[in-house]
Amino acid sequence: MSEIAISVSDVSKKYIISHQQDNKADSLIEAFAGGVRGLFSARQKQNKEDFWALTEITFEINKGDRIGIIGRNGAGKSTLLKILSRIVKPTTGRIEFEGRVASLLEVGTGFHGDLTGRENIYLNGSILGMTKREIDAKFDEIVAFSEIETFLDTPVKKYSSGMYVRLAFAVAAHLEPEILIVDEVLAVGDSAFQKKCLGKMEDASQKDGKTILFVSHSIETVLRLCNKGILLEKGRMKAFGPMNEVAKVYLSTNTGFSSKRTWERKDPGHRHNKAVQLISVVVHDEDAVNREEFDITKPIGITTEYEVMDDNLIFTHSYNFHNEEGLNIFNTHDTVSDYRKKPREKGIYRATMWIEPNLLAEGLVTVGVAAIRIQTNELYFHELSAVSFTVRDYMKGNSARGEYTLGFPGIVRPLCKWQTIKL
Amino acid sequence: MKTVITSEDRSFIDIRELKRYLGLFKYLSLRDVFVRYKQTWLGFGWSIIRPLINIVIFGLLSYLVDKSQNFQDRFVIVSGGVVFWQLLSTAILDVSNSLTSNSNILTKVYFPKLLLPASSILVCLIDFLIAFVIFLILYFVFKGLPTLHILLLPLVLVYGLIFSFAIGLVFATASVKFRDIKFILPFLIQILFYASPVFLSSEFVLKQNLPQFLKVIYQLNPFVFILNAFKFSLFGTFENFDPFYACSSVLITVLALVFSVKYFLNFEKSFADYI
Repeated sequence: MSEIAISVSDVSKKYIISHQQDNKADSLIEAFAGGVRGLFSARQKQNKEDFWALTEITFEINKGDRIGIIGRNGAGKSTLLKILSRIVKPTTGRIEFEGRVASLLEVGTGFHGDLTGRENIYLNGSILGMTKREIDAKFDEIVAFSEIETFLDTPVKKYSSGMYVRLAFAVAAHLEPEILIVDEVLAVGDSAFQKKCLGKMEDASQKDGKTILFVSHSIETVLRLCNKGILLEKGRMKAFGPMNEVAKVYLSTNTGFSSKRTWERKDPGHRHNKAVQLISVVVHDEDAVNREEFDITKPIGITTEYEVMDDNLIFTHSYNFHNEEGLNIFNTHDTVSDYRKKPREKGIYRATMWIEPNLLAEGLVTVGVAAIRIQTNELYFHELSAVSFTVRDYMKGNSARGEYTLGFPGIVRPLCKWQTIKL
Repeated sequence: MKTVITSEDRSFIDIRELKRYLGLFKYLSLRDVFVRYKQTWLGFGWSIIRPLINIVIFGLLSYLVDKSQNFQDRFVIVSGGVVFWQLLSTAILDVSNSLTSNSNILTKVYFPKLLLPASSILVCLIDFLIAFVIFLILYFVFKGLPTLHILLLPLVLVYGLIFSFAIGLVFATASVKFRDIKFILPFLIQILFYASPVFLSSEFVLKQNLPQFLKVIYQLNPFVFILNAFKFSLFGTFENFDPFYACSSVLITVLALVFSVKYFLNFEKSFADYI
């Protein structure tokens, strides 16, 4: 069972970024002049800089392992997947693997809008490395999985986006390589269908001993699907081992997030030109003091500031809470403020929410922040792992623990009312 | 099956791998065919109208320029050349665009990249076959049945396509880094059109009062031999046949093919970084 499927040794990847010295052109004329100047003195004006997307990555993966690759934006996850999929070559290092590799960095690679669903199944399947015979054999299954039977002979550009994604997934889900490399593709599509795909992948790996490499932002998903994990930070491998341990490292150190975070416009993870931009999220106590740790018997406040860039938007803000295992503890959105129903003016807004004392269990809690228009389900922003904080029980006897000090499982820790009488 | 990834630039043609990807070659080729005239009112009618218009324009024009033959003969010969040239020039263009126009696939999945330029040939061939039928009708009306020389035709087609493919492949590779190619290529093809015996016969060109070195360069152009061979297979006479230039044309074609494939393979692994 401990046969090696992939061995990666000392892999690095360098990109050369060239940027203009002065890229703030105030007018079109200046931009144009800069362009012309650049044309004649390209060497002088351009600053070339080496950028190491990956540095000295070394690991070995056994056959049948399901590896979750996690890390912040720009940590090198996608670069690693691209190198493993042989789309780009490493600058140094060597990788060996045993068996057929299929990579799924995008759903529907090569789909052509003018071709019908049936034609696209064959085209996409063959792009992903299936032979005609394999596609023929799987064809009915793919069609059934995608739930688009009636539109099989319609050009896919006429499909709704949901149908398009389902068809693309269906093809991908029926790949049968020995090694499957999957990027964040599962982030799209409706959640029921996502579950179906994840289930299919789980099956493939557990029943047939397939090796899977999986990048995701959702700790919940990687924890469910993967047995081992790789944590990347700024192109270096920060942790490698059992998935739950790697996830813990990710969530608890600075690699993950802390209880206070601000977003700059230049932050690559920040969605530009959105109608609503997140400014900051802070977890704090009753006295508005930012803390990393909270007493389980005290209320916890979470304050978000965001800027509304367009007039007349209607939305409310919401939080979701996940525990260390990636389980969604609960979600909440503002159901009281008048702003949730009326068109807003441009400007900066601040929203504070209080978590009742004696609600959360001990441990690390991750907070996701979103702005959503309830009526249409339109998301203005959604930071899945915006901040995190730790809940502690200081064992003073006033919590749900009472005098009990040992392991105390459970997703929430409410202080329940007890009444005992002798009958 | 064991695969090794290194930082090595060079890649090789792996026959076993190409075999495995035969299906992809087929579907990429078919995609181009299906998609070419999608959402046009005339559809494949364009495969008839485009060559027809070219035949009429260049057939007439060429008679105005070169009156050494009677009109009918000249017209049929030029229309053959026009039809064949359309195959060669669209092959150069389509092959050279094949990488940049498929950048979405190139950056998302691994496969032998040589399939992209190779698979863009089929659609050119199908267009050619349709145009060639029109030409054959014209031929039949003006000249009757073709001679046995026509058996050489497939060979000439393959030969011409190889040279076009080689040129296209060099430009395809270069265009990954330099989009300038997109602007240069149409001019180059236009120049080649006049520098090859499509519209002006090589006899006519060589009779002109031109400096000797220009005539040598003209004859070194492999397309001169290719188009004259094409005409030979149809009309049975070989204009300005010269064994030296016949050999040089074959040699240049072979060298071009070797060079273009090598150039392509040298950069194949970096395509996704630059495109």
